[in-house]
Amino acid sequence: MIACLLIPGFELRAALRERPRLTVAPAALAPEPGAEPLLGPVTAAAERAGVRPGMRLGEALATCPSLVLVERDPAAVEREWEGVLRRLEDAGFAVDPVELGAVVFETGGVERLYRGVRPALERALAAVGSAWDPRIGAAARRFTALAAASVARPGQILIVAERDEEAFLQPLPLSLLPLPPERYAELEGLGLRRIGELARLPGDAVAERLGPEGRRAWRLARGGRRARVRGRAPAIELAEALAFPDAVANELTLRRALGSLLERLLARPERAGRPFRKLAVAARLVDGGSWRRAVTLRDATAELGRLRSALGPKLAELPAPIVELRVEAVELGEQGGRQLALVEPGGEEAAIRLREGLRQVRASMGTGSVCAVVEVAPWSRIPEARALVVPRDD
Amino acid sequence: MVSHPGSARARRAAGRLNAPRPALVEAGIDGTPRVVNRQLVSVVREEWRVVDRWWTEEPVDRRYFEVVLESGQNLCVYRDRERRCWFTQSA
Repeated sequence: MIACLLIPGFELRAALRERPRLTVAPAALAPEPGAEPLLGPVTAAAERAGVRPGMRLGEALATCPSLVLVERDPAAVEREWEGVLRRLEDAGFAVDPVELGAVVFETGGVERLYRGVRPALERALAAVGSAWDPRIGAAARRFTALAAASVARPGQILIVAERDEEAFLQPLPLSLLPLPPERYAELEGLGLRRIGELARLPGDAVAERLGPEGRRAWRLARGGRRARVRGRAPAIELAEALAFPDAVANELTLRRALGSLLERLLARPERAGRPFRKLAVAARLVDGGSWRRAVTLRDATAELGRLRSALGPKLAELPAPIVELRVEAVELGEQGGRQLALVEPGGEEAAIRLREGLRQVRASMGTGSVCAVVEVAPWSRIPEARALVVPRDD
Repeated sequence: MVSHPGSARARRAAGRLNAPRPALVEAGIDGTPRVVNRQLVSVVREEWRVVDRWWTEEPVDRRYFEVVLESGQNLCVYRDRERRCWFTQSA
């Protein structure tokens, strides 16, 4: 059986761990800096006062003037979520995290250990802890388990038997299906509000009207495919941190600190010669908040220069001076997967690499971002007449 | 390096390299710069004139100065004698 453990508003709950008093007050997760001013998850007290997740900040403050905005704390969220996953893994479940606050796992391997599905799921709830208000949905298919967890109450285990899956899904709202907001509006315009109403339509007609994403939603509305859950690769604990005596904002100092942390990380014996596939750079901000950015490398590498070039630019996104910088190895690559060149690449090989590099710059910055300098009158006495900068889109 | 530098698209989007930028200059009585972009000039290292394209409708008549500012920065400024204003440029 496939189970889904859900902790709604996980980011807010994790950010409130340091300030538990706010959990009973009207509070909401502040909008992301630089993004649209839309609220994140809200507490039950805020919901009672009429504030809803995704509401505009101005509207929310007008509705509930005593609303407390909780600063985002991505490093704490990541740490707490990893803690939840590890506790589940310690209880014997091979977990597949869907997103923050939602994880899927199979009970097949531990049913005999805990003597049944329900005792196994009770063990999972106990492993996570009641402070998080987790709830579990279980079914033969992944989507049904997710849907069951979405409608379960805190601390509840909702098991849907295979023969009841269709009847269970039918009355549920369409918002449980992974569709863009405009698609929901389109479906509502067609008079569809429940999953069962979509499931009853002919699949070809849905695909013709709504495209591939509609077809996928239609398939999920009928229960989705039967697929086994593949547990994540065991997480690694490789991180290096540097605390500063005073708050630091100078980019040069930060880059030097990053270089030193990377050197320390590369020297860790636990790495056993494996290159890094995914790294994260995190910081504790001077005002108490935190900041985190993860980078997945195109090719797993253990070259200091390449790691520096991949993580260095992220430091420019720091929103405030920091008091601690941390580099975490999120995922390691396979050992010795890269064939080194016997002789320095030159000629055609170098040209291929250059073309690939330029293609990537164009892909991220747009056409016209790569230019070449063309000499038009190098003999001219007027400096600006000697050369032109010409976009190079070939 | 560029396959079709003369194409219509390239011509449309092409920009000048080392285009002059307007500068705020206070000059002495002899016309040499004393203050450039609110920084005192320590030394005038070199001076030269460029007179060109006098046969066209856009003649060039510039008096260049290579200066060292109080901060230690090296800079080239010129007085455009046609437009009667100052610019900085890498010569």
